[in-house]
Amino acid sequence: MTALAPDVLTERVRGLAPAIEAQVSENGQAWLLVPARDLVLVCSHLRDHKDLAFDSLMDLTGYDLSRYPSSPRNDAIAVVYLLHSLRHRHKLTLKVYAPRADCVVPTVSGVWPAALYFEREVWDLLGVRFADHPSLRRIMCPDDWVGHPLRKDYLYPAEYQGVSHERDGQRFEHGPRRVGDPDPAPPTAAPKGDRG
Amino acid sequence: MSLGYAVDALARWLTGSEDPASWAIAVAVFAVFVAPILLVVFPIAALGQILERKVAAAVQRRHGPNSVGFDGVLRLAFRVCLFFLPRARQDRLLAAFCALPGIKGLLHLARRLGLGQLVADGVKMLGKEDMVPSGADGVVFRLAPYLALTGAFLPFCAMPFAHHLVMLEVPVSALYAIAVSGITVMALLMAGWGSGNKFSLLGGMRAVAQMVSYEIPVALAIAGVVLWSGTMDLHAIVGQQYQPGVLTFLGWNLLQSPFLALLAVVFFLAGLAECQRTPFDMAEAESELVSGFNTEYSGLRWGMFAMAEYTEMLLIGALFASLFLGGYQSPIGEQWIVTWPVWLESLAHLLLFVTKVLASFLLMMWIRWTLPRLRVDQVMRLCWLKLVPLCLLAMVGLAFTILLGNGTVPGTAYGRLPALPRLDLGVLGRLAAWALPLALAAILVVAARKRHGQLHPALRQLTGGSA
Amino acid sequence: MTPAGERMTLNLGPQHPATHGVLRIVIESDGEVVAACTPDHGYLHRSIEKIGECVEWPLFVPYTDRVDYVCAMNANLAYCVAVEKLLNTSAATAVQVPLRAECIRVLVAELNRISSHLIGVGAMAMDLGAYTPFMHGIAQRELVNDIFERLCGQRLTYNYVTIGGVGFDLYAGAEAEITRFFEQFEREMVRFNKLITTSTILRDRCAGVAPINAAEAVAWGLVGPNLRASGVDWDLRRDEPYGIYGQLGVRVPVGQAFAGKNGVVGDCFDRYLVRLLEIQESVRLCREVLKMLPPPADKPTDPVGGFQADVKRLLVKPPKGEVHCRTEAPRGEMGYYIVSDGTKVPYRVRVRTGSFTAAGIFHKVMRNIFLADVVAVIGSFDVVVPEIDR
Repeated sequence: MTALAPDVLTERVRGLAPAIEAQVSENGQAWLLVPARDLVLVCSHLRDHKDLAFDSLMDLTGYDLSRYPSSPRNDAIAVVYLLHSLRHRHKLTLKVYAPRADCVVPTVSGVWPAALYFEREVWDLLGVRFADHPSLRRIMCPDDWVGHPLRKDYLYPAEYQGVSHERDGQRFEHGPRRVGDPDPAPPTAAPKGDRG
Repeated sequence: MSLGYAVDALARWLTGSEDPASWAIAVAVFAVFVAPILLVVFPIAALGQILERKVAAAVQRRHGPNSVGFDGVLRLAFRVCLFFLPRARQDRLLAAFCALPGIKGLLHLARRLGLGQLVADGVKMLGKEDMVPSGADGVVFRLAPYLALTGAFLPFCAMPFAHHLVMLEVPVSALYAIAVSGITVMALLMAGWGSGNKFSLLGGMRAVAQMVSYEIPVALAIAGVVLWSGTMDLHAIVGQQYQPGVLTFLGWNLLQSPFLALLAVVFFLAGLAECQRTPFDMAEAESELVSGFNTEYSGLRWGMFAMAEYTEMLLIGALFASLFLGGYQSPIGEQWIVTWPVWLESLAHLLLFVTKVLASFLLMMWIRWTLPRLRVDQVMRLCWLKLVPLCLLAMVGLAFTILLGNGTVPGTAYGRLPALPRLDLGVLGRLAAWALPLALAAILVVAARKRHGQLHPALRQLTGGSA
Repeated sequence: MTPAGERMTLNLGPQHPATHGVLRIVIESDGEVVAACTPDHGYLHRSIEKIGECVEWPLFVPYTDRVDYVCAMNANLAYCVAVEKLLNTSAATAVQVPLRAECIRVLVAELNRISSHLIGVGAMAMDLGAYTPFMHGIAQRELVNDIFERLCGQRLTYNYVTIGGVGFDLYAGAEAEITRFFEQFEREMVRFNKLITTSTILRDRCAGVAPINAAEAVAWGLVGPNLRASGVDWDLRRDEPYGIYGQLGVRVPVGQAFAGKNGVVGDCFDRYLVRLLEIQESVRLCREVLKMLPPPADKPTDPVGGFQADVKRLLVKPPKGEVHCRTEAPRGEMGYYIVSDGTKVPYRVRVRTGSFTAAGIFHKVMRNIFLADVVAVIGSFDVVVPEIDR
């Protein structure tokens, strides 16, 4: 058991593919930005190499960057891979930016089977399509649900299966408005189809 | 087959002749049928639900039903019976009645025991809608509960409740009892198949597989007793266990031979499986099959199944008592009871019999609320790999005991029964017959304790031992 | 035991006595043998992560209760520890949880772990047809709930742990009551174990059923007792300590094929027994914590630490950025991945729960086993449906 220091780890991973960028979030958390095309290769290596041995996928999630202040990529969904090595006890955070226009990321379920469920959830709630996932179905929302609720521009459908989502003539909005937010869509504009 | 003593006597008394007319026999059969079955079996089976809840509560350290008594019923009775009086007057009379000594205490007791639950549940069941699911086979679905109840009640026709209280003296009543109780299998299969529900179907199939299998150890256990007594007549088997002297219970089959004791255990276990009780409640298996074969039943039809289940438990208890525990005989001083007047003797016998049956009944409930359920394959394995070989072993042992035994005693003190010979091994012979199997049992117990010693240390430590 | 003939589709759930709520498993069965199964989730989805993006930081705590209402204290704690970690990434917003609050946190978390595991093992016994152990477990859980009720007024969803502390100080006499509870609790657990754990039927039912080896357990993301039952010696309380767990020296039980001759490491019985052993460990931890509990502040009803006052509450405004923090809940790792945009409302709150990944492995282990084993497997994973669906 030899835990690698974060900077050593970063260098090791960056050696795998030239396009990987080492980044640090505003509050000092280090992470690596991996291009979608290198993801599976990188992940397989991370799992299989005996010094790295990331055998455990702690979490796979994502968030919509579109309203993140001073975000470099307002047009993307960030998919976050939180890795941990039980053997060496070190951790690594990977991120993949998936452009909203073509929101596809290769699946890592072949690397860590735990990703089967995580990716279904990310697909359901954020609308990231995981290429080659064996059963990419919705998991939380019903199969005929429209839209992906955790996207920041998501609007509740006016009705679902004949049940109206209006109360006292008002639509539920997705949260308190923030300074600088654009005006919410007028209540009459019911969403049509997948808004991703 | 002949009429029981009570039927015969009643019919003769009704017509005043030695050769009673058939209508009198019919009336007498009905009366005697009503006496033990409707007055004893039916209420106990109906009480079973409450008893079950009380036993469960006791095992789980709860109170169980403790609020519903007969207060409402009493008030209603006053209202109905005294409908011609003004209400205030009725209330005054009711109050006066309740002021009688002991009434308050009785009402309180009924509340604490939750006896009123019986009425409440009955009314509730009657009031429920009689539903037949749309996918069900209507006729089969409707017929099943009646059949279940029939199969459960019929064996009691030949059951010796007391020496003078048998409806039909069937010479092969032991065979008859297990034969007619087999109808229940059919009923469960019909319920499972007819409901048009997959859970019911699985439950029905499980029930059939299990009950057909377990009928073999049950029948073998009975066959062992038959081998020992040389008769298939339950009444004769009971009579044969009579022992003069104070300690009547020494004559019970359970204590005659270790092989009979073994058969008693097997019979009880297989009987549990026959009435689908935990740990063999495959057919209901609430956590697996929702409610198994009776998932789709509600109201009165469901009530019939519940009733059939409790009646079947009573049947196993009654057979167990008759085969191994001396039937209706008193454990002490039976020789004096037989000299009492017929009515008093019958009453005493009836009470003794009911006590023995209730003991098995409560034991079954205790087991249910203590043990987990076996899995389907384990149930079958237990039957075919353990119980059936044990039965065969016991039969062989019994046969050898009979061969080795010598001397006979008159088997009965009851004049109406044939005096069958009964084996008497003498004191030394009896001791010898017990010694070897007891030694075997002791070895088994030691082995089991040793196996317990092999429990994982973590388990030992969890149960208070040192790791 | 592989299925051969025609297959029948059987809907286990969403309403079924053994699915502990509204879990639905579509089973392809050949009679009694399960050929394949497909879990179907979402019946209890309450969009808790979406709600997290709509309420202010401290106001999300009551929602964490609902993530797993069987162990709401641990769910509170997981969120609060995560937010504190986020706050501490900047010197301007750093919070220091007082030692007494840390002790109380461990105390309530471990008490809640005990009561949660009691439900877990009791419900599993009930799935296997033994009702009485469940009732005995529930009776003990009620006593824990009594303590919690006196502590914070709630019996199920506590909203007790707050960001930076806990909601209320211990009530007068709490230590003595908890000590008394443990005395009778340990006696009761011995009885409980004699009743059910050493039962041969239970061991025969669970031994060797649905075993998961260590590598599989890690790869499929199993956490907590389910992971430890597979023989992986990993407990966040010991290996990534938060709060004062580092000082307590947590001892971690792992699966060792407890069932005896038919047992396999990582089978249903190991999952069952690891929970019982964890209960023992939790009792020990609570006793340790009671020993090191510092004296109370002058006004004992004041919140211990925390941002309880309204004015202060609005001030929770973590720095911009993100943090991932995981804690050990009874159903395993409860991981929060939080993104803050520097406002008083979270930008993204992600909860990763133990039951979610446990449900993910269902379709793999529930293959070629008996229908009766399916309920044993569900029970042994101790899944709580709100935790899967959130």
